[in-house]
Amino acid sequence: MIRNAFSRALVAGRAGFLQVAPQSASVAGCRHMSKVAESDEQLTARYVQYFESKDIDHWWLSKHINDLAGTDAVPEPDIIKACLHACRRLNDIAMAVRFMEIVHFKCGNRVKEIYPYVLQEVGPTLNELGIPTPEELGMDKPQLALEDVYDM
Amino acid sequence: MFQLASVEHLDLNMNWSLININIGLDLACKLFYVTMASFAVGSVVRRCGRLAGGAARLSTSARALGGDGMPAIIERHGKREVIGYGYNGQPNYIDRVDYPIPAVRFKEETPQIKALREKEKGDWKNLTKEEVQELYRATFCRTFAEIQAPTGEWKLALGGTLIACSLAIWVYIWMKLFVYDKMPATITDPQRVEAQVQRMIDLRMNPVQGVASNWDYEKGQWKN
Repeated sequence: MIRNAFSRALVAGRAGFLQVAPQSASVAGCRHMSKVAESDEQLTARYVQYFESKDIDHWWLSKHINDLAGTDAVPEPDIIKACLHACRRLNDIAMAVRFMEIVHFKCGNRVKEIYPYVLQEVGPTLNELGIPTPEELGMDKPQLALEDVYDM
Repeated sequence: MFQLASVEHLDLNMNWSLININIGLDLACKLFYVTMASFAVGSVVRRCGRLAGGAARLSTSARALGGDGMPAIIERHGKREVIGYGYNGQPNYIDRVDYPIPAVRFKEETPQIKALREKEKGDWKNLTKEEVQELYRATFCRTFAEIQAPTGEWKLALGGTLIACSLAIWVYIWMKLFVYDKMPATITDPQRVEAQVQRMIDLRMNPVQGVASNWDYEKGQWKN
């Protein structure tokens, strides 16, 4: 996952700060602490395989996206590209834009470092498929306001 | 038998500001507890029943008893397309940053949206930005920026807490004016207080860190 790529790039003293929960707890609601922890590469390969399956449907797409949103990491560019292609096969651009918003959100408080890198890696795919980023659509700032039920 | 201080009345140079500070500290302690209590009450009242982040809750399904007494699931998602499992398995819509793709789309399919979906099947480069936004809003209620936008609720909570504190202070003022008796002479009368302090010095009360520790017994005066 991206967090390990950055931790290797940083000074050793700061690497410990980036350590997060063991990889085995990555899939939401599925903790197998007794099993061997899955490596980042294995997780990436698994999700790329999920999104690349030819007969993916909306149910599985939203399940895998929600699982990724539940992991404590930023999805690798390979996963992002596979997911965007899956959205294209399902003819759902709203999902693609939402997924880019999710990636932005997962960057957490290091969004200024990680998100430009993500856009740089994934940019060609976005251009090829014609998907605008949330920033281009003006969705990085609030556009509409929803009245709170307690204020009605 | 240790030598007591001189029997004559010593000039103790009473520090009345200290005594008033003591009474003031007592008042401050009472106000502190009242403030903490009202803050707790204020925040509990604000938080009670609220979902964190003020999520848009549109419940689309509910359990009710069916005709034969067994629980029946009434699904209220109407004609909205089910696209996933949802965060709890029910076909409902909720904006959550930790579970971003809900079970159903947000809007029902109107002819306009149907036309856009047809256009979506073609090349996405042909979609204008407004059309992409239209399709997004058909599936999702709020963007991440809107979910995470500040609500300003803290102002309501802080204001309510401070109003409760001020009411508490008013109650204390009323108590002081109408309920409490005047302070007894043993506290207010300067001569009595001096005599009490004299006695404390004579008995060497709290000689390590208290009253008698501040009195210089060799010189017969306060240490400075």
